[in-house]
Amino acid sequence: MAELTVEDLHLRYGDNPILKGVALTLERGQVVSLLGPSGSGKTTLLRAVAGLEVPHQGTIRIGDKVVFDGGRRLDIPAEGRNLGLVFQSYALWPHKTVADNVGYALKLRNVPAAEIKSRVATALGELSLGHLGARYPHQLSGGQQQRVALARALVYNPPVILLDEPLSNLDAKLREEARAWLRELIVRMQLSALCVTHDQAEALAMSDRILLLNNGRIEQQGTPEQMYGQPATLFTADFMGSNNRLDGRIGDVRDGTASIEGDGWRLRGAARPGAASGAKGTAMIRLERLRLADGPGDNRLQADLSTSMYLGDKWEHLFRLGETRLRAYGDRPLSAGAHWLELPAHDVWVFAAPE
Amino acid sequence: MQKLIAVATLAAGLSLCTSAPAQTVPAGYPADYAQTVAAAKKEGKVVIYSALDTKAAQPLIKDFNALYPDIKVEYNDMNSTEMYNRFIAESASGQGSADVMWSSAMDLQVKLVDDGQALAYKSPEASKLPQWAVYKDQAYGTTYEPAVFIYNKRLVTGDEIPQDHAAFAKLINTKVDKYKGKVTTYDIEKSGVGFMFVVQDTKYFAGMKELEKGFGATQYKVYSSTGNMLEKVSSGEHLLGYNVLGSYALVRAKKDQSLGVVLPKDYTLVLSRVMFIGKQAKNPNAAKVWTDYVLSQRGQKLIGSDVELFSIRNDVDAEYTAAKLNQQLGSNVKPIPVSAEIVAYLDQTKRLAFLSDWKQALAAK
Amino acid sequence: MTPAGNAVDALPAERLAARSPFAGVPRALTIFLTAAAVLAPLGLILYQSFLTAPFFDARKTAGVEAYRFIFADPDFWTAFVNSFLLASGMTLIAVPLGALLAFVMERTDLPGKRWVEPLILVPSFVSPMVLSFGFVVAAGPVGFYTVWFSEIFGGAPWTLYTLPAMAVIAGLTHVPNVYIYASSALKSLGSDVEEAARIAGASPLRVATTVSLPLIMPSLLFAAVLVFFLGFELFGLPLVLGDPEGHLVLSTYLYKLTNKLGTPSYHLMAAVAICIVAVTFPLVLLQRRLLQNARRYATIKGKAGRMRELPLGRWKWAAAGLLYAFLFLTVIVPLSGIALRAFVTNWGIGVTIAEAFTLDNFRAVFDETTHVRAIVNTILIGTIGGAITVACYTAIGFATHRRNDGWSRFIDYLVLVPRAVPGLLAGLAFLWVFLFFPPLAPLRTTIFSMWLAYTVVWLAYGMRLISSSLLQVSTELEEGARTVGASRGRISREITLPLIRHGLVGSWLLVFMIFEREYSTGVYLLAPGTEVIGAQLVSLWQGGAIDVVAALSLINILLVGVGLALALRLGVRLRD
Repeated sequence: MAELTVEDLHLRYGDNPILKGVALTLERGQVVSLLGPSGSGKTTLLRAVAGLEVPHQGTIRIGDKVVFDGGRRLDIPAEGRNLGLVFQSYALWPHKTVADNVGYALKLRNVPAAEIKSRVATALGELSLGHLGARYPHQLSGGQQQRVALARALVYNPPVILLDEPLSNLDAKLREEARAWLRELIVRMQLSALCVTHDQAEALAMSDRILLLNNGRIEQQGTPEQMYGQPATLFTADFMGSNNRLDGRIGDVRDGTASIEGDGWRLRGAARPGAASGAKGTAMIRLERLRLADGPGDNRLQADLSTSMYLGDKWEHLFRLGETRLRAYGDRPLSAGAHWLELPAHDVWVFAAPE
Repeated sequence: MQKLIAVATLAAGLSLCTSAPAQTVPAGYPADYAQTVAAAKKEGKVVIYSALDTKAAQPLIKDFNALYPDIKVEYNDMNSTEMYNRFIAESASGQGSADVMWSSAMDLQVKLVDDGQALAYKSPEASKLPQWAVYKDQAYGTTYEPAVFIYNKRLVTGDEIPQDHAAFAKLINTKVDKYKGKVTTYDIEKSGVGFMFVVQDTKYFAGMKELEKGFGATQYKVYSSTGNMLEKVSSGEHLLGYNVLGSYALVRAKKDQSLGVVLPKDYTLVLSRVMFIGKQAKNPNAAKVWTDYVLSQRGQKLIGSDVELFSIRNDVDAEYTAAKLNQQLGSNVKPIPVSAEIVAYLDQTKRLAFLSDWKQALAAK
Repeated sequence: MTPAGNAVDALPAERLAARSPFAGVPRALTIFLTAAAVLAPLGLILYQSFLTAPFFDARKTAGVEAYRFIFADPDFWTAFVNSFLLASGMTLIAVPLGALLAFVMERTDLPGKRWVEPLILVPSFVSPMVLSFGFVVAAGPVGFYTVWFSEIFGGAPWTLYTLPAMAVIAGLTHVPNVYIYASSALKSLGSDVEEAARIAGASPLRVATTVSLPLIMPSLLFAAVLVFFLGFELFGLPLVLGDPEGHLVLSTYLYKLTNKLGTPSYHLMAAVAICIVAVTFPLVLLQRRLLQNARRYATIKGKAGRMRELPLGRWKWAAAGLLYAFLFLTVIVPLSGIALRAFVTNWGIGVTIAEAFTLDNFRAVFDETTHVRAIVNTILIGTIGGAITVACYTAIGFATHRRNDGWSRFIDYLVLVPRAVPGLLAGLAFLWVFLFFPPLAPLRTTIFSMWLAYTVVWLAYGMRLISSSLLQVSTELEEGARTVGASRGRISREITLPLIRHGLVGSWLLVFMIFEREYSTGVYLLAPGTEVIGAQLVSLWQGGAIDVVAALSLINILLVGVGLALALRLGVRLRD
């Protein structure tokens, strides 16, 4: 039985539809990320699961208990859902100490005072905050505040924790460390977590499954490898990584591959759903897959070097082919002029061009 | 009347000799008065609504308490209209109101009596009062306050000082420039007393229209309070005051070098504060005792001295008495009677008509 | 905290079910009581206006005589026109002056402006009754300044008792109202636009009139409507300055009706009251819309860029001159007048201060039990009464906080109603309420009646204070509490309330000052036992006891001053 099940969720603000039929399941011990650009509805979805927003259609189940059912007009308010929620801004209560912040949930559950004390101490200890119990939130660093928020959400053992952009408030440097630490914590404690993030690198690093939302609907969901390596739509491909993009016309489509050609080039690549012969198409390849070649050949094209940028660990080269711009990585500078570039067929995706 | 008093005195005297000495029944009172006093003491307090400020009434209250220490005086001063409003509102809503109503708005008081709001009570002191001051044995006039002219002594001198109404009218009609903006009297729309005075004036003074024209010409300034008028004439902001309540004026003139007072020689109106006991009084006996006290020689003596009003009784020796005033003015004293005739102008149509006539006369050329 | 797999901590059972049926009771009760307290007085006034006699008079009948009478009375129309003229005049003076002063204080580098700012706000904290009285005593026909000026120059060119003079004084004393809104709006302007104008060659005055002030037009518009509206409600000022020459405005016309016909004409007064409300209520609605506009305008423009002061250069003298002239005329003149008058026995042409100096006036105040009672009551109603009032406002605030349902909107409009009723009428209406409803009767002669009237009259103001405090609390703090399982009641008590503590103390201080300077609401409620300084001043003024009025006014100013000092000390925002 899944810890969390959402079915056909619709939500609107006034006349404005935000969620247009979203479904997801979360198994125990899984981390699922809700990924998408701003306005895609991912935070709204999270808040709807938490009970802070009210959908008008669909169902939400926590374990086997139905907390929302649009058809039966059942809506258990947030205070009754027993979930943990970590806010993007942490939302620690400034007038309570760290210990009181964490212990408040237990107080609400009529846990005896002595037990509250010990459980809070344990929780703080788990997150390396043991010595900070008597401090006030404004006396803590950003990272410490985040951990207090986490402790607060976990102290009462909710079946699912919800995290709203957990890393975006941290400095860039801290973010990478925190990413690792958070994943490790979740795995160690076998928590079931639903995360919202706008950063695809974060989602890829932390999740067992990713749900990519686009304009209130799920564009694609799958494991990080699937999302990165097998995008079903142009949007997904575009969002999940940095790409090169060539627009042209699709030639033949057979055995799951398609050919595509444009002004001065011709490629073959994996045909994605919707690619049809004769239609306008777009070829996409990850930046890091574009290789420098020594001469002409299959799936190769020639382009002029516009400029090169030194990134420290590598060079990034910008090429121009007619109107098309291509970027590639290399480990040394290049001379000006034309160069041959290879786009390996198994790394190229051919999509139908968007309307 | 005399016979009755003689008999009563004898009876009282006899009863004093023979009965227990406990009660302090004033001389000349019926024997059963002792019971009234006893009942009053049981009631323990008397609630008074009065137009006379508490400060001025203090001597009276103190003395009353000396006589009757068991009866607490709850004295509430407010202006006469408010008194009236409050009394009828409270009586109508059955919430209990004043035991004693004591107001200078004679017409309003009489109206209340006519409306059946007064307790019938014949005070033993009633006989000592002039006839015009007793109304249906329910309401009594308690003071004798003349309406006077006031003037600024420094700036109005010699022949200019008006000695009667005609002179006043002539003065303000001829010396318009000097007196422009400097003549004052009551706002007859706001002040019931002021209204009453001018209504009486029309009775006795044929040249009223002249006077009104003069008021208009000099752009007279009106106030609803005596204090304001006295203040402004004394300071020189104004030069003349008409129909000002003499009790206050004479008292102030004693201390204030700048203020002069004239008792008009042709006739002088006299106002008498009217007192009655409310029908729904919660402490009727205490109210009776208070009323009798105020009307008694002892009370009247204080009124004529420390309280600085004028006592109405002729047989009282004090600084300000009716007798002295009468001596000065003789038959030209025109007291406003406590009677049904003064209620006439409470009729709204009549009142409005009077007010609009007044306004027209002011504007006359 | 243990790895998942252990038993989930159970929430108290009632939380899992839908909200319990009793959850809504406190809110319903609050809404009901508020509605009753607001609508009962107004309902009574309306009812009374359609009768032919006081409502407790057995001879009353229904009818429109009352309206017929006042519409036929030329004084009514004169009063109406005068009110309109007065309101317009004071708006035309207060708005430009207030806006200009706000510009000088907020956007320029005028030296010494920080300590001067509270002084600008003083007129809004002193009772208008006291201020008007102060002007008479200081600059009236025989005022201190008039006499001194005459002695030097042989005559004073001004007079206070005309309608234009009243408009000027009213305008000056309402500058703070405009100033508060204009300066708030100017705070959020970036200086780039002003600097651009300066570089193009505009003087500070031109920058103000062509750039900064037009940019805050919504706020100025709101302030203009507010001042115009307040003009219709003026009572103390026309009473003191208008009566000597018989200039009536609607409120003094109503006051006059108390005795014009000899016997009380409650039905006429009620009819006039309804006419006043008919003008003020639309103005209140308009204000509300304009305020929302102004706020929206500010947020659309976004936060300020850099805020640099505009250097005044040689305009410094003009600006300082304007500022100090304003302070002199509006604050120094009347207050010094009162202070002086309180310490002399009499005054006028030919009297010198030195020979008339005395403490007798204060002795007279403290000797008189009613005056002492007034002082005590005023302090009590401000401190304890004020605290209870803030508690009530907070309860109502919680009933509408973060709930956008029909009841919240109902309350939003409900609190506007008392705003439209001038204090004078509200007091009268409450008197009738206490007379009319027997269960409330014994409370009428206690200070409770006064307190209730005050609390209802200032409802809109208080609600704005409370809601601005409540809005400071981030939604997420409350949502966080919800997700850990706290019910709305617990959130209000344990999360929101502690967080607005400082705001509540500030509100209490502001309410204290408002209550201290109140005067018109208590006029009809004044009874032995319910005296407060403000209402008593009105009554004493009518009675001509100038000495006592001066002394009591000074005491009143001191009381407000204490409140103001405390507020400044605690850093309370004196603006909305």
